[in-house]
Amino acid sequence: MLKKMLTSMKSIWPEFQKHKQDVHLKSFYTFTDYWHLWTMSIFILVVTALSPLCIVTLIHYQLIQKSVDSELNLRTERLTSNAKRSTTFFMKERLDALIFTVNEMGYEQLTENDMLAEILKNLKLGFGGFSDLSVFDEDGAQVAYAGPFNIKGKNYKCQPWFLQSLKKKYFISEVFTGYRDVPHIIIAVKSIKPDKSFFILRATLDTERLMETLTSYKTGEHTDIFLVNHKGSLQTPSTNYGNIFTQTDLKIFNYSRTTEVSMATYQEVPVILGHSFISTDMVDTPFILVVQKKKAGLMHVWLKLRRNFNWTVGISVVLIVLVITFASTFMTNRLYLIDKAKAETMLQMEQNQQLASIGQLAAGVAHEINNPLAVINQTAGYVKDLYSFKDEPRSDAEIIENIDSILEAVDRCGTITQQLLGFVRQFDIKIKKINLQKLVSDVLSFHKKEAEYRGINVTVSIPDTIPDMETDSGKLQQILVNLINNAFQAVDEGCCLDIIGSQIDTKTIEIVIQDTGCGIPEDRLAKIHEPFFSTKQDQMGTGLGLSITYGLVKKLGGNISVQSTEGVGTCFTITLPVKIKEGELV
Amino acid sequence: MKVILVDDEKKFINMLAKRLALRGIQADAVFSGEDAIKKVSNKAYDVAVLDIKMPGISGIQLKKKLSILDPGLKYIFVTGHGTVSKSDEDLIQKDFYLSKPLDIEILIKRMNEIGKLGL
Repeated sequence: MLKKMLTSMKSIWPEFQKHKQDVHLKSFYTFTDYWHLWTMSIFILVVTALSPLCIVTLIHYQLIQKSVDSELNLRTERLTSNAKRSTTFFMKERLDALIFTVNEMGYEQLTENDMLAEILKNLKLGFGGFSDLSVFDEDGAQVAYAGPFNIKGKNYKCQPWFLQSLKKKYFISEVFTGYRDVPHIIIAVKSIKPDKSFFILRATLDTERLMETLTSYKTGEHTDIFLVNHKGSLQTPSTNYGNIFTQTDLKIFNYSRTTEVSMATYQEVPVILGHSFISTDMVDTPFILVVQKKKAGLMHVWLKLRRNFNWTVGISVVLIVLVITFASTFMTNRLYLIDKAKAETMLQMEQNQQLASIGQLAAGVAHEINNPLAVINQTAGYVKDLYSFKDEPRSDAEIIENIDSILEAVDRCGTITQQLLGFVRQFDIKIKKINLQKLVSDVLSFHKKEAEYRGINVTVSIPDTIPDMETDSGKLQQILVNLINNAFQAVDEGCCLDIIGSQIDTKTIEIVIQDTGCGIPEDRLAKIHEPFFSTKQDQMGTGLGLSITYGLVKKLGGNISVQSTEGVGTCFTITLPVKIKEGELV
Repeated sequence: MKVILVDDEKKFINMLAKRLALRGIQADAVFSGEDAIKKVSNKAYDVAVLDIKMPGISGIQLKKKLSILDPGLKYIFVTGHGTVSKSDEDLIQKDFYLSKPLDIEILIKRMNEIGKLGL
C-alpha cells in the first residue's frame, strides 16, 4: 500500500528536478533553471487567474454593502415615518375630540361634574387612553373634575403646563408625573367664554396607549423605538436606553418636519438612527420619535451570504491554484523531457560529427597510405619478378636495396597510422597540456597532399613563445579540424589559407583561420552557427559543422566570431583561455 | 607498345617501369607533368599512365595538353583514392582508371585492351 503510494507520488513528482544530474547533457539544455521556470509559470498564472477573481469579489462586496446600507436606510425611514404618522394621529385624534367637546358643550355644561363624568366615559369608549378630564378657570383653579384621582380644589396657576396653555390655544405636554405620581400627558384646549374671559379643558392621557402604539411597530429584537423630548429625555421606555425619563446621549436634533435617517454608533455598535419631530397641524408637540436599528442584526442575512460566498471563493482559489500547479508541473515536465531529448540528440550529433570529421580525414589518410602501399606492391612485385624471370641478372645489393625501400614505405604507412590513432585518441574528454603549433601541424598533415595537389598556399604563423594551453585537447582539435575542413571546402585552386596563433594577454590565446575562398553572403553570415543551416546543399552538408564548432568553443570558455565578404574570403577568429579548470569545462 | 608513366611517387613509377620492361613493354618514367610534355613532344607513345593527383599539373590537365601534342595517345589513370570524384569522372569519361596499389597484370591487360580496341 505504502509502496504503491510512493510510486504514484514519484510519477507526480516533477522529472525536471533531475535536470542537473547529467553533466554531459547540461550544456545542451535550452533552459538552465527549471525550478525557476516552474515557479515563475505558477506565479504568473496564479496572479493572472486570481487577480480578476479577487477584484470582482471586492467590487461585489462593496456593491452589496452599499445596497444593504441603502436598503437598511429605506427600511428605517419607512418604519420611522409610519410610526410618526400613528403617533401624530394618536395626538391629533384626542386633541380634536377635546376641541369638539369644548365647542359642543360650552362652559356651563362642562363645569357640571356629572356631565363631565359622562363625557369622560364617552371619550374613553370612543377613543381610549383618557384617564381624567378637568376644567380650569383663568386663575388656574380647578372648577370641575372627572376621573379617578381626587385632586379637586388644587391650584395649578404655577404649573408649567398651565402657564404654557395660557400662551397658546392648544397645548400638548411632555410626559410627566405631576401630583399623581403616574406618567401622563396633558392635552389642554383654551376656550373663550361669551364674557371674553376664558377657561381651559384639560385631559390627561395615560401613556399605556401611546406605548402600545409604538410597540406595535417594533420589528425584531434589533429595533428600538421610543419618544424623547427636545432635550433628549426618554418619554417612553427604550430597550437600549432604559426606563422613562432617562436622559439619553442622543444629540438634540435640529427641527425638521420630515423623517431623517443617519448613521451613528450606540455603545460602539453601528446603528441606523431614524428620527422625526411629532407635530399636528394645530400644535407642535414636545416629542421626537426615534427609531434605532442595530446594523449588525439587520445585516445578519448579508453576513451569512458573505460567509458562503467567502467559502466559495476560497475553494475556487484552492482549486485554481491546484489546477495551475498541476498544469505547470505537467507542462514544465513535458518541456523538460523535450529539452532532454533535444539535448541527447545534440550530444549524439556532436559525437556523430566528431566521427564525420574523422571520416573526412579518412579520405586524405587513405590517399597517404595508398601511395606507400603502391610502392611496396611494385617493389615486392619486382623482387618476385627477379626470381620469376630466371634469365634476368640479379644481385644481392639490388634485392637489399629494394627491400629497404619496402621497409621505408612501411615506415611511412606506420607514421600515418600512428598519427591517425593519436588523433582519434585525443577525443576522450581530458584536460591536457597542448602545444598549439603541434596540434595545428597534426591537423594540417592530413591536408598536406590535398593542398599540394590543389595548389593551396597554407601558411601557419604561430610564434614559438606561445604558451602551452591546458584545455580539452579533443575539443580543440575538433574545432580546428572543422574550421580547416571548412576552409578547404571553400577555397579554389591557388587560394591562400592562413592560420595565425597569438597570445592576447596572459590568459587568452587567439587563433585566426582565414582563407581567400568563396566567402559567405552577408544574409547568411548571421545564420551559419545555427544547426542545420548549410550553404552546401548540393554537396550534402549536414549544416552541423559550424553549429557544433560554435558549441565546442563555448564549452572551452571561448568565443568565436566570423567576418566574411562574398568572393573575397572568410576569417574565423577564436579566442580561448590558456588554462581551463576541470570544473569550468561544461 | 611504347608507354609513358607519369607520377610524382618516384620509387613507385621506377619500379613499375622496370617490371613492365621485364614483361617486354618499353616504359619511360617521368615525375611531373612538365617532364611528360617534354617527352611526348620528342617521342611518340601508344599509352600514357597518369596519376590523377600530382603537384603542379594534375593528371586530368595533363591529358588535355598531351592530347594536343599527340591526338592518338591512349590514357590510363591511376589514383591513390579508392574512387575518383564525380567531377574527375566526367573528365576521364571512357578512359580506364585503376586504384593504387596497382596490380601489374591488370595494368598490362588494360593496355592490351586499349591497343586492340584501337581507341
